[in-house]
Amino acid sequence: MTPLSSHTVGPFFPEAFIREGDNDLTRTTTDAPPSRRGTPIRLNGRVLREGGLPCINAILEAWQADAAGRFHHPADPEEAQADPEFLGWGRARTDAEGRYEFHTLLPGAFLDRAPHVNLLVMASGLMQPVATTLFFPEFAAANATDPVLALVPPSRRPRLFATPDNAGGYRFDIRLRGSADEETPFFED
Amino acid sequence: MAEDAPARFDPLPPGIAPIVPTPGYPSTFTHTPSQPLIRRPPGRGEITGPLALHRKLPCGEANLAEPIPGRPAVGQLIHIAGQVLDEDGRPIPDAVVELWQANAAGRYAHASDTRSAPLDPNFIGQGRVRTDAEGRYGFFTMRPGAYPVPGEAVWWRPPHLHFCVLGPASLSRLVTQMFFPGDPLNPLDHIFMAVPDAAARERLIARPLPPSEIGSGWLGYRHDILLRGRRATPVLA
Ligand SMILES: [Fe+3]
Repeated sequence: MTPLSSHTVGPFFPEAFIREGDNDLTRTTTDAPPSRRGTPIRLNGRVLREGGLPCINAILEAWQADAAGRFHHPADPEEAQADPEFLGWGRARTDAEGRYEFHTLLPGAFLDRAPHVNLLVMASGLMQPVATTLFFPEFAAANATDPVLALVPPSRRPRLFATPDNAGGYRFDIRLRGSADEETPFFED
Repeated sequence: MAEDAPARFDPLPPGIAPIVPTPGYPSTFTHTPSQPLIRRPPGRGEITGPLALHRKLPCGEANLAEPIPGRPAVGQLIHIAGQVLDEDGRPIPDAVVELWQANAAGRYAHASDTRSAPLDPNFIGQGRVRTDAEGRYGFFTMRPGAYPVPGEAVWWRPPHLHFCVLGPASLSRLVTQMFFPGDPLNPLDHIFMAVPDAAARERLIARPLPPSEIGSGWLGYRHDILLRGRRATPVLA
């Protein structure tokens, strides 16, 4: 049996579907206490389209391992040890400047993978969600051997690294379309 | 679901994914990546995904047609129901299904919809449910109206429902649209027609249920939602 085709999320994704706190990956529910097992970080940036113009009303979804590199999911053999208070998933919407923000914990490494956050972007004008992965520059040794980063042409790899800001956060801009130098690398799984 | 979450994700067969950028849909030419997508073998971070997401995303609004008892929305009452399934045809319980749509006049209750078509005070046109143990979902709602997409070459979207489905893996995530059988605007819609394979387009069209089965209260449609993913081991015949 064949999966259904994907289509654009369009411009009218309900405002009520993204509530305050949905961009917080550290809570399993809006009211739950945040997980403290790790280093809290803030991820923020802009989603931009061709010409570097803001992509407004884009929906982003983040998915990542907990601070020890585990997923609360049966496909992870270490599921039983995963942080029960950490959801690892969040959703955000871009504002009129194309800005988004997530609150999470610094993810841990697992298997041969460097610490990373998977991001999915949906928007009017995007017929299919696009998938990218954010890496952290301070894990130089792990990044050097990460098999996914190795698939990206070296000249385009810098676009997958978040930039630490001076407020305990990281900045990661996503350029949907541009020249090979400008555009964020996107993956197909 | 836990133990038998899908673990095998094959590439989509040709003709299923829409053509991008999409002819006739100008903003796809400014948003679609121009560089080739980088093929990556699915790893642990891709075959996993958030479970029990209904804890984070409140579910339950399945009756969009009469959100306040005694104050039904305007239009043709319909019931849309089906199963969320994986590629083996196995039901996916606990999937989160989000639906949003225009009202009977083709207007969205959304700040970005600035058309002058009337809003219906009794219709918001959005709901979120969680599939049951058999993967079933269902909504009472109104048949949406068509609406024009502004631009140099205006086109009209046929009546359609938007669905976002969150299954058991990142790779089973789906954003899609459901169309109605026989609508003359379907073959003129740049978004519907972006799917090259005719059989794949057919699967985006809801199946009307015989009124003899449903009764006189509403029109019934069945629409199954197939997500990517199979068992880890191929099933041997
Ligand atoms: Fe629409």
